[in-house]
Amino acid sequence: MREQLTTFNVGNDLFGIEVMKIQEVTGELTVIPVPLAPNFVRGLINLRGQIATAMGLRELFGQPAMTSAKPMSVVCKIDGNLVSLAVDAIGDVVEVERANFESAPDTVPAEIRRFIRGIYKMNGQLLSVLDLETLAKELSPTENKQ
Amino acid sequence: MSFSDQDIAEFKAEARELLDTAEKGLLSLDQGGDFKSAFDSIFRGFHNLKGAAGMMELPKLQAHTHELESLLMKLKTEGAMPAPYISLFLRGVDAARSLLEGQDIAFVYSVGEDDPASAPAPAITHVIVAEAVPAPTRVTASAPAAPASPAIPQAVNDEFVAECGEIVERVAKNLQLLEKGNASKDNVDALYRDVHSLKGSAYLFSYTKLGDLGHGMESSLERVRAGTHKPSAALFDQLYKCLALIEQIVKNIAANIQTADLDEQVPLLAARLLKAAEALESVQETPVTSTAPSTTTAAQANESGEGAASIRVPVSLLDNLMTLMGEMVLVRNQVLQYANRSDDLELLSMSKRLNVVTGEIQGEMMKTRMQPIGNVLTKFNRVVRDLSQELRKNITLNIIGAETELDKSLLEAIKDPLTHIVRNSCDHGIETPEVRREKGKRDVGTISVRSYHEGGQVVVEVSDDGKGLHKEMLLNKAVERGLITPAQAASLGEKEIYNLIFAPGFSTAAAVTNVSGRGVGMDVVRTNIERIGGTVDLTSRPGAGTTIKLKIPLTLAIVPALIVRCGLGKFAVPQVKLEELVRVDQSSADNHIEILHGTPVYRLRGNILPLVDLNRVLKGNGGDSQPDPAKYKDAIVNIAVLNAEQFSFGLIIDEIQDSADIVVKPLTRLMKSLQVYSGATILGDGSVALILDVLGISKVANLKAEKIREVTGDQKAKENIRLLADAQDFLLVKVNATARHALAMAYVNRLEEFKSSEVEYSGNQRLVRYRDSILPLISANQQLGLPDTTVDRATIPVVVIEKAGVLYGIEVDGIVDTLSTQHETRVAFKKQNGIFGNINTADELIVVMDPFEMIETAFPNMARAKFKESNASGKRVLLVEDTAFFRRNIKKVLEERGYEVVTAGDGEEALSLMGPQHPLFDIIVSDIEMPKVNGFQLAASVRSNPHLAGIPMLAVSSRADKGYLEQGARAGFNLYLEKLKPDILLEAVERLLMRNAA
Repeated sequence: MREQLTTFNVGNDLFGIEVMKIQEVTGELTVIPVPLAPNFVRGLINLRGQIATAMGLRELFGQPAMTSAKPMSVVCKIDGNLVSLAVDAIGDVVEVERANFESAPDTVPAEIRRFIRGIYKMNGQLLSVLDLETLAKELSPTENKQ
Repeated sequence: MSFSDQDIAEFKAEARELLDTAEKGLLSLDQGGDFKSAFDSIFRGFHNLKGAAGMMELPKLQAHTHELESLLMKLKTEGAMPAPYISLFLRGVDAARSLLEGQDIAFVYSVGEDDPASAPAPAITHVIVAEAVPAPTRVTASAPAAPASPAIPQAVNDEFVAECGEIVERVAKNLQLLEKGNASKDNVDALYRDVHSLKGSAYLFSYTKLGDLGHGMESSLERVRAGTHKPSAALFDQLYKCLALIEQIVKNIAANIQTADLDEQVPLLAARLLKAAEALESVQETPVTSTAPSTTTAAQANESGEGAASIRVPVSLLDNLMTLMGEMVLVRNQVLQYANRSDDLELLSMSKRLNVVTGEIQGEMMKTRMQPIGNVLTKFNRVVRDLSQELRKNITLNIIGAETELDKSLLEAIKDPLTHIVRNSCDHGIETPEVRREKGKRDVGTISVRSYHEGGQVVVEVSDDGKGLHKEMLLNKAVERGLITPAQAASLGEKEIYNLIFAPGFSTAAAVTNVSGRGVGMDVVRTNIERIGGTVDLTSRPGAGTTIKLKIPLTLAIVPALIVRCGLGKFAVPQVKLEELVRVDQSSADNHIEILHGTPVYRLRGNILPLVDLNRVLKGNGGDSQPDPAKYKDAIVNIAVLNAEQFSFGLIIDEIQDSADIVVKPLTRLMKSLQVYSGATILGDGSVALILDVLGISKVANLKAEKIREVTGDQKAKENIRLLADAQDFLLVKVNATARHALAMAYVNRLEEFKSSEVEYSGNQRLVRYRDSILPLISANQQLGLPDTTVDRATIPVVVIEKAGVLYGIEVDGIVDTLSTQHETRVAFKKQNGIFGNINTADELIVVMDPFEMIETAFPNMARAKFKESNASGKRVLLVEDTAFFRRNIKKVLEERGYEVVTAGDGEEALSLMGPQHPLFDIIVSDIEMPKVNGFQLAASVRSNPHLAGIPMLAVSSRADKGYLEQGARAGFNLYLEKLKPDILLEAVERLLMRNAA
């Protein structure tokens, strides 16, 4: 069984999301910050009349904010919400073999591990597949603070 | 009867569609398609066409389709359709088309006609077949045994349920009309057709019990339809009961619940129905003769276009279109901006066209979601009817403004709250006929539902002429249920008492009845209405009824809002939550933000308004950290006074930018959990603004409703005590004299401060431009004959007075303070221009000015000009008032309007002024607190004299706390006003006089 993934870089690592789950990939968008929101919420974006929540993967993974060039955005619809993920750079669309899949080793820091569905072993590189459902849960906490 | 061209065109379009459906089904069967679904669509095609043809009085078509339908029913249990039958039916479809075009046909239906399952509509007794055509192969139909419940696809089943729902609704509506005496052929036919199609579809889907009910209803209506018999009350009862049962059964079908227990009731009901139908009285007059359906009508219709008149579209599609349209508007704006800068004329003209077209699309788009509120309101006919029977009351329902449109989703949202309110009115509001008679009211209670547009909102008012709310009872109940403490109860104002019924767990019914009184209700009503951005308001007059007013935004999606800036972000505050905007100049000496125990507060018209700094809330330390007092030093501070359910607070913002209609977009739950945002929106320039959640902010800032309420409660109590002593409020001002001068607060419209440079001259008259108009200035010093002020001023303090609808500004040297005093104002010994009199307090003498007189002297013509048309001339008013100040004042106000006023110092004097045989006056305006004979006693003696009883009486008192209103009404006052501004008094007097004349 094969799977097609859109890849991108966050820090030194390569990540992937199923191609079909991605709505679009765009350059930098104007982000309106949301005061009081946790730091991985970069703010809100006007995406052609729809409002998307901008999430910073670096912030989510507890990595230092990116200092270099403009971030790219990967827009997907998770759980009915439009979410734009800020990533360092966009990679290729790759086709991977299900056979090369395994779950992330326990030594990966827990704050990153919980967002990773598993690892594809590719030639010369490891590709972490993002788990959009945990991301969705992060945006819709079941325990409402109210 | 005749049909309009449009009716015929619509019918033909529909008929063609139905035939197409049937044809499609036949063809799919021919190609070996699924029998069940194809059969259903063929059946539906014939069946519905039959009904429609009956409605349109086309007996040939009706008969034809009926025959086809009967034939078809015999094949139902076969599970297959032999080829010859398919051909027969296809020919039948063609023949039907010919009939539709007005041609006569010849057709042979070769199968017997004894299938009970599709018992024909009894009205059809003749079949028109011109000549014989070769007979199709005869097929023996299997015995029409009740089929085992076939597996009906869920989707089809859902459609059936939806259709039944629609039919039930229509039937209920038509029954109501019929019951009200609208026995027009149209109406009865529609009713008949609906129960008939209900029967048909129910049998088709093998819901035999449902079908039996439909059949029963149909049969019982037969003679009514024929016009030979009049429907009786008993028949209506049974029909309504059937309808209720049908509703329940359909509900169970929708939920996939077995309906066995309900089914058991069917035969009994059907039997009763039949009995009721048999007992009908016959009508003497000849039945309405219907014009023969002619081929000409059909031919005329042929000219109109074909195609469906409406289609169903998922709401989500409309939502998407709305979103895209919003985006299109943004692009349009950008294009327009660009085009305006460019020299390209062609581009310019195209962009103009783009502008117009986009605007039109936007307008039309908005309409797609709008529906008339009547869709919901007409349902109440049924509710009220059922309840009035159940409660043995006589209630009529008036619906006004059923055509008012609002967003469909909102319509759904207000349906339940409104139903609840109407039920409440029936149960608690309207009294039983016996009680009503005792009270001297008509036996029949009226509930009016009025809806109309007002200020970009839809208002729905439900009012009844029942007993009204009883304040004491509300209070007792609230204390009993622990909602408030007895101490609080004593201090609540009228409005607050009425609002108690919106408190959770409150129920007013003395006994819990079937209808209402279970303590869930009005609080849910309020929550639901507020959830959609609406408000609920209640007013009640004991003995006269209750009015509940819902204000609902036109659409959920678009909300008027104030756009404010705070830090770098823009935020939207919904206008419904906004009470007022206050701009505070901190450098000015008099009123500014003060720091109280570390929190900023502002004195707004004498009350302490807690302030919340949005900047601090958004930095996450809204609640407890110390504010920086320096921040508010010497700056202009903007405060938005917001309304958070029970109390108000001020929100300090950096800048007020704009007001705009915004489209609300939802936020993820994570953002909602931050409490301070309720949504987001895209502004005209394409940027995103967060919508502030006013209630959430107050919570985050630790403002608690209870706390604030207690404070206001205490204040209220104090106010009441003060009012009881008949105190008067004055505004103390400084003029160029040693004595302090004062103005009665009731005159004061606003206090302003103008820069000297703003003052302009028109001739000698000093003016300032004020709120889009011109405010003439009158110098108090001049009017009082005092020397002009010697102080050189940068700003001029001005008291704005409204007289006869026009604003005037009285220039003073300074505005000092307010004063509340119980000392009586004594009329000046020597009449001096602009002075009313003096107040003698223990340590000083205060001069009371008469601003109206000042205005009159300054503008002798203008002051009276406005009221020339008033119909007051010649009307005599008896003014009973013990306080000289008010006596003179009110008299003046009334005289100015053209009334003839006679004054009395107390009730005794008033009674002596009235002749025992003739009132001599057109209206009595009276104070309550008076020596010798007080207002209540006066009213009672006036009312007890039959010669005087008809005279309208208006109570004017500073005491309007709880119990007084009722006492006033009991004593016989028509209206009860608090000591008041002249305008309200005049309006009330006029209204009462008019009512009396009518």
